[in-house]
Amino acid sequence: MTATAAQRRRGWLSAGGVLITIAYLLPVYWMLATSLKDSSDIFATPPDLFPSPITLTSYTETVVNHAGIGRGLLNSTVIAVGTTVVTLAVAVPAAYALARLRVRFVALLMLLFLVVQMIPAVNLALPMFVIFSRADLVNSYVGLILANCSLAIPLAITILRPYFLSVPGEVIEAAKIDGCTTWSAFLRVALPVSVPGLITVAVISFLGAWGEFVFGLALASDEGMQPITVVLAGLTNSFGTRWNDLMAVSVVVALPIIVVFVFLQRYIVGGLTAGATKS
Amino acid sequence: MTTTVAPPGTASTTPARAPRRARRWGDHLFVVPAVVFVAATVLYPLIFNIDLSFRDVGVAQIVTGGAEWVGWENYTDQLSRDDFWHALVISLLYTGLAVAAAFALGMALAVYFNQRFPGRNVMRSLLLLAWILPTVVSANVWRWMLDGSYGLINTLLEAVGVVDGDVFWLARPVPALFAVVIATAWSFTPFIMILLLAGLQGIPDTLYEAATIDGAGAWRRFTSVTMPLLKPVNLTALLLCFISTFKTFDTVFLMTRGGPGEATMILPIYAYNEAFEFFRFDTGAVATTLMLIVPLGLSVFYFRSLRREETA
Repeated sequence: MTATAAQRRRGWLSAGGVLITIAYLLPVYWMLATSLKDSSDIFATPPDLFPSPITLTSYTETVVNHAGIGRGLLNSTVIAVGTTVVTLAVAVPAAYALARLRVRFVALLMLLFLVVQMIPAVNLALPMFVIFSRADLVNSYVGLILANCSLAIPLAITILRPYFLSVPGEVIEAAKIDGCTTWSAFLRVALPVSVPGLITVAVISFLGAWGEFVFGLALASDEGMQPITVVLAGLTNSFGTRWNDLMAVSVVVALPIIVVFVFLQRYIVGGLTAGATKS
Repeated sequence: MTTTVAPPGTASTTPARAPRRARRWGDHLFVVPAVVFVAATVLYPLIFNIDLSFRDVGVAQIVTGGAEWVGWENYTDQLSRDDFWHALVISLLYTGLAVAAAFALGMALAVYFNQRFPGRNVMRSLLLLAWILPTVVSANVWRWMLDGSYGLINTLLEAVGVVDGDVFWLARPVPALFAVVIATAWSFTPFIMILLLAGLQGIPDTLYEAATIDGAGAWRRFTSVTMPLLKPVNLTALLLCFISTFKTFDTVFLMTRGGPGEATMILPIYAYNEAFEFFRFDTGAVATTLMLIVPLGLSVFYFRSLRREETA
């Protein structure tokens, strides 16, 4: 094969790849396109592939003026940030110890953290509702953050441990010889070199809590405490066939995810495949 | 993200290779918060749930406690109910179909994007958008695309002559099941693609070159080189995807709420309804406890396949 033939083949493969990607992400485009249509354009037959006219009415009138949406976004922000902070605080030291310190039952604990992730959220939401009812934690940020952390912490530990395993033990030993305590060796040596892992875990915890639905549905019956995902589910009934408005809200819910995805994408991919390439 | 389960390979169950010196008890303080947290927010609720499943819990006892112990009565009741078995069958059907679709498509995408061409890394990452989009959002978009009168899917299918006239996907039993399967598979496919790509990258090019010299075509190379070498990765990906899909709640809940009738009534929704729609927390506890058997049973095979993959 001549160089030009190989190049041409790659060109065709690229073109094919672009087509596949566009076709696959059509639902994402359709969400965005619909949100920019006016209320008559959404019912055009055949459907308008491009919104005409392009209008922001769904955003400027429905999204902005609907009190429940603003409240839901605020609730989701509090829950997702809270979950991320607590998850980092609890999971990071644990993952470090399970990778680098002399603790007992490492294999057993790692197995526990993995098995826990196989549990359906409904299995926890049901007893949590009863427990939280008695502890007065239903419809509270504390309850929702605790519920989200239940599955976020084990996941974070399984993602983080390989990162700490890749920190050479000699570096930590050297720090200790230089007079560092176990704690300061962790803070000053292990953490700085594991920043990519920390970002990955923070991003994954945040995204997970932002998109979470079951705990929000079960543990926040009060509309003022519901995360945006539950609010959106409720709007599917009240908006009926106002698909442009519904898609605009969907875009707003997806927006933080898309922004994080665009800017921190390599960390997400790294987290999703952590260990899959064998650490 | 619906389900966040650790990807294969993270289950390095071999302990950190620390030399056998005296263990320092202070080191355990690093782990204690995580263990306490998981014990309090996962293990305790699970045990609490099992306890509930053996009691007669009325609406009043949800808050006050003190429900009467009834032994196995709730279990025998539940197991004699047709709708419970129906939900189990629908769950397995839904999960099986969605996993099969996601795996076939994920494999095709992985093989395609494993070839060398400009832009492939960007495209691979872009496809992951389908996986990380909140399920509430994607379920809503699919509901709109599958709309009978104005949906994009009907228009596309009519254009290629597959369907004639409006198909009200979510209003008819069999199409509704297909609809939730398609929406679920759409989310899971990129995840499977990424898992399989990691496996594909481990297959040396020389094997493909040798097969080509022996006269093997593209399909033959796939069946004789790719598939056999990918077997451990395939098994891990399939099990992980099956467990994650079996747990899925949001997609189906948002698209059909288990309907029409009970056509898409999967176990998680069935259990949710028992507790939160009909306030029967005891039977809900029975259903969730029984439901746990499937993912936990499969996780045994999953861990075994992980270990095999690690030693391979």
